[in-house]
Amino acid sequence: MIRIRELVKTFGRSRAVDGVSIDIAEGQSVALWGGNGAGKTTIIRCVLGLFRFGGTIEVGGLDVRRSGKRARRLIGYVPQELGFYDELRAAEAVRFFARLKGLRSRNEGEALGHVGLVGHEHKRVRELSGGMKQRLALAIALLGDPPILILDEVTASLDACGRDELVQLLSRLSRGGRTMLFASHRVEEVSSLANRVVMLERGRAVGECGVESFMPRLGLSTLLHLHIVESARVEAMTTLRAHGFAPRLNGVGLMVPVPAEQKAAPFRVLAQARIAVDDFELIRASEVGGVHPTQEVAS
Amino acid sequence: MSSFTIGSGSVMAACGVDRVRPPSAAANIFTIGRRELRDAVRSRWFILYTLAFTGLGLSVSYISAASTGGSGLSGFGRTTAGLINLVLLVVPLMALTAGAGSIASDRERGMLSYLLAQPVTRVEVLIGKYLGLAGSLFACITLGLGLCALIVAWKGEATRPQSLLWLTGLTFVLALGMLSVGMLLSSVARRASGAIGTAIFLWLVFVFATDLVLMAGTLAFKLRIQELFALSLVNPLQVFKMWSLHSAEASLDVLGPAGLYASEEYGPMLHVIFAGCLLAWVVLPLVVAGAVFSRRSPV
Amino acid sequence: MRALSVILSVLSVLCAGVARGGDEHEALPRAVVAARGDVNVGVIGRRIAAAKDGDVVRIGAGVYREHVVIDKRIALIGEPGAIIDGGGSGDIVEIRSEGVTLRGFTVRNTGIDLDKENAGVRVLAPRCVIEDNRLEGILFGIDLREASGSVVRGNRIGGKDLDIARRGDGLRLWRSDGALIENNVIHDGRDAILWYSKGITVRGNVGVRCRYGLHLMYSDEVVIEGNDLSENSVGLYIMYSRVVQVRGNRLIRNRGPSGYGLGLKEADQYAIESNLIAGNRVGVYFDGSPFSTVKPGVVRGNTMACNDIGLTLLPSVRGNEISENNFIDNIEQVSVGGRGELKGNQFWKGERGNYWTDYVGYDENGDGVGDFVHESQTLFENMMDREPKLRLLLFSPAQQAIEFIGRALPAVRPEAKFVDEVPLMRPVEFPARLVEGGSSIGWLVLAGVVLVALGGGLVLMAQCDCPSGFRTGGSA
Repeated sequence: MIRIRELVKTFGRSRAVDGVSIDIAEGQSVALWGGNGAGKTTIIRCVLGLFRFGGTIEVGGLDVRRSGKRARRLIGYVPQELGFYDELRAAEAVRFFARLKGLRSRNEGEALGHVGLVGHEHKRVRELSGGMKQRLALAIALLGDPPILILDEVTASLDACGRDELVQLLSRLSRGGRTMLFASHRVEEVSSLANRVVMLERGRAVGECGVESFMPRLGLSTLLHLHIVESARVEAMTTLRAHGFAPRLNGVGLMVPVPAEQKAAPFRVLAQARIAVDDFELIRASEVGGVHPTQEVAS
Repeated sequence: MSSFTIGSGSVMAACGVDRVRPPSAAANIFTIGRRELRDAVRSRWFILYTLAFTGLGLSVSYISAASTGGSGLSGFGRTTAGLINLVLLVVPLMALTAGAGSIASDRERGMLSYLLAQPVTRVEVLIGKYLGLAGSLFACITLGLGLCALIVAWKGEATRPQSLLWLTGLTFVLALGMLSVGMLLSSVARRASGAIGTAIFLWLVFVFATDLVLMAGTLAFKLRIQELFALSLVNPLQVFKMWSLHSAEASLDVLGPAGLYASEEYGPMLHVIFAGCLLAWVVLPLVVAGAVFSRRSPV
Repeated sequence: MRALSVILSVLSVLCAGVARGGDEHEALPRAVVAARGDVNVGVIGRRIAAAKDGDVVRIGAGVYREHVVIDKRIALIGEPGAIIDGGGSGDIVEIRSEGVTLRGFTVRNTGIDLDKENAGVRVLAPRCVIEDNRLEGILFGIDLREASGSVVRGNRIGGKDLDIARRGDGLRLWRSDGALIENNVIHDGRDAILWYSKGITVRGNVGVRCRYGLHLMYSDEVVIEGNDLSENSVGLYIMYSRVVQVRGNRLIRNRGPSGYGLGLKEADQYAIESNLIAGNRVGVYFDGSPFSTVKPGVVRGNTMACNDIGLTLLPSVRGNEISENNFIDNIEQVSVGGRGELKGNQFWKGERGNYWTDYVGYDENGDGVGDFVHESQTLFENMMDREPKLRLLLFSPAQQAIEFIGRALPAVRPEAKFVDEVPLMRPVEFPARLVEGGSSIGWLVLAGVVLVALGGGLVLMAQCDCPSGFRTGGSA
């Protein structure tokens, strides 16, 4: 459905995307995974024809450069943040974009209903919360039932609650057989929405895998923050090291990167060594700052 | 959140899909233009400018009607002259800033990339925005000058309606030209504030600087009348003024020797000359704006 | 529907109001009518030959193709439809006897020989009456040579449709003292001109689309009253003439290359009173007038409105007494032709100055006279007086910028051209019949309504873009 060949995009002297090729078959859902500056958003904008680029991109067999308008008709797009006429009412916004997509619908309410915005038709865009705005953007993206959905860090500006809601919504959508391409640096988004992950680093594709091998491949997706009394910290460090973990000291205890599916292992090890853990926090990789996990391993 | 089912079917049913073909360019231009028009007439600047223009226009008409003591004396376009002066001052500022604000501020707010991610072409967006703003300017001008006509009639002054209609039409052409220049600034500028700043600077250049330079040149270099007339054609505001007088009085003799020269040398051809000059200001900046806009990134 | 019918009825009322308007000058015929139908040759000549002094000779309707010479003291009266056609050559009627009356004819088609001055009616004897004739397609119209005491009244004189340089004078008086020129209409000719004629009264005539509406050369003691001299190259030009009274005339839209409403060249002892002088290139032009110091030039009670320049005085002009005039919205109220001041002229008389629409003072004690003097000293006018080409930049905001600078910075403020020490606060009344009719007000209202409807409609249309047929759908 989407074919990206040798995509190159430079801004001035820097290469934001450098020779990336991706094929997305119909019904596939592909995540672009990488930190800030990896080139995720740039690739998406190239697919949408917003940038001039080198290489070729085809959407549904249409060259984006030559028939961008028809290609975009196949795409529903949700940006990181909906920047739009603030004074517009939600229903009006839907109607406007429906017209641009060539739809003559009188059922803005229904379109909004699909994303759980019933009763908000007459609210102005600026009166909507961040999560509602994103759902409005999703409603607009779904107008005309496009075969392709492109999402660009759609949860980045949302709080935890809004994020969960949106991801839930999207995961149900992705089961509908739609082709999806999305950028994310959140593990849970990728794991619940994608069936394939393309890893990007500084504009290059550095790896590609199915979602089932994504989490292990990330290796260290979670940080465990263990609160341990000061006297026991050094012993805890050596014990954990002996069992193959890579703990670091910090003010009140230890930071231990753990594989996502073995988050309780350090507790077992420490319990056996009779070291008391007073408290703990789970810090998800995404909250560590979205740096590429492989870098974390390297350090 | 409400329950919903989303698959390829339900949205399609809601919106009546035409999957393949996006709407025609004309339809998109109409949609975008209408959106822009509506946004413009509700905006603060439009309301302020319309009030200012109408208010000043009414006072000009009222005063020039009152100063003749209600004698109905001025069948000689004196009110028209006052209105020309007002138009020269207000309309270019309005059109320049409206144009300058349009694309640049959309880009700044992230609206532009979202809009361009829809199945539209850039030319459609540019033309749509242009026509929408042109519509708002048209409304402002006709409201202002129409009310002036009524007050002039009420004061019993015998201004010829043709000259007023000419003035209205020419004012609109002038506004279109200045709007083109504004759009050009907007598509070149990085920030909306920069574009509007430049627009105000250009306004000063058109309204004051060129004429003052022309005056100084006439006095300093003893320009011949042919040269003076030719140079005055450079400034679209002067062209507008001369065209308005020419259409109202059928002669430019009111503008002294240089005007008399123009009338005698070119006669009715003056219409063609003025139209050519003014339309060049409408078309050329818009074409350049289009070229720049379709090359530049919308982000 | 009701709204629509209201609008329609309003429109129909407006249209009816509009339809009544019209331009009086449009009604004037310009055409030259060719001879046609039954042509009588020599009939009038035979009738005159048969008549004797004191006879009244009546000529019936019909086209008379002949050149008539009247050499007896008779009254030649044309019945309605009596046409004397010169066939495009020579003069048509020549009066050689004194005391002749010529009345009621249509006289048409003279030759076009300027050297021979082919005329419709040539009067070569005193005390004749030329009355109620219609002259069409003539080179010269009525030409009075040494015809003192004659009366030219109620004639309508239309020139040939020729280039201005090849036209003749519609009316000419040559050494014809004491003539009365009254209620004639002269259009599309060259000049109406008085040469060396004393004691003439010119009253109630209309002169349009000529070169000079009325021109005085060396003609003293002339009264010019209640004439309408409009759309000529120059309305009224008084040259080398003394004791002239110009009263209650309309001098409007005279916009030829010089374009004076009224020009005075070395005229003397004149009184210009209660005229309406509007829309000319220059309202009144003073060149060497008054010529002597016998009596000040009186300019009083006139209305100079909407001229490009209200008054132009050459720098050498002195001795005018300009008071109680209205200076209404002339683009430049008073100009000096070239550099100089107008100190030798007085812009007030006694306690009464003039009414100026650009006067910015006020009248606190309510005596009708402004509390401050009126000085004209705008920088741009000053620049225009020196360099007339700069008029091209009139009506531009730059002009106002210049004038603002002139007001704000005393260093560049020019000397006052003139001072009116007692400017009037209210315009001086002028006779109602001088008022320009507002014939197009209906159309103006219509134009205004249409424009407002367009703009308002557009705004409303844009406002009403709410989702119509909107239903709260969804499956909530």
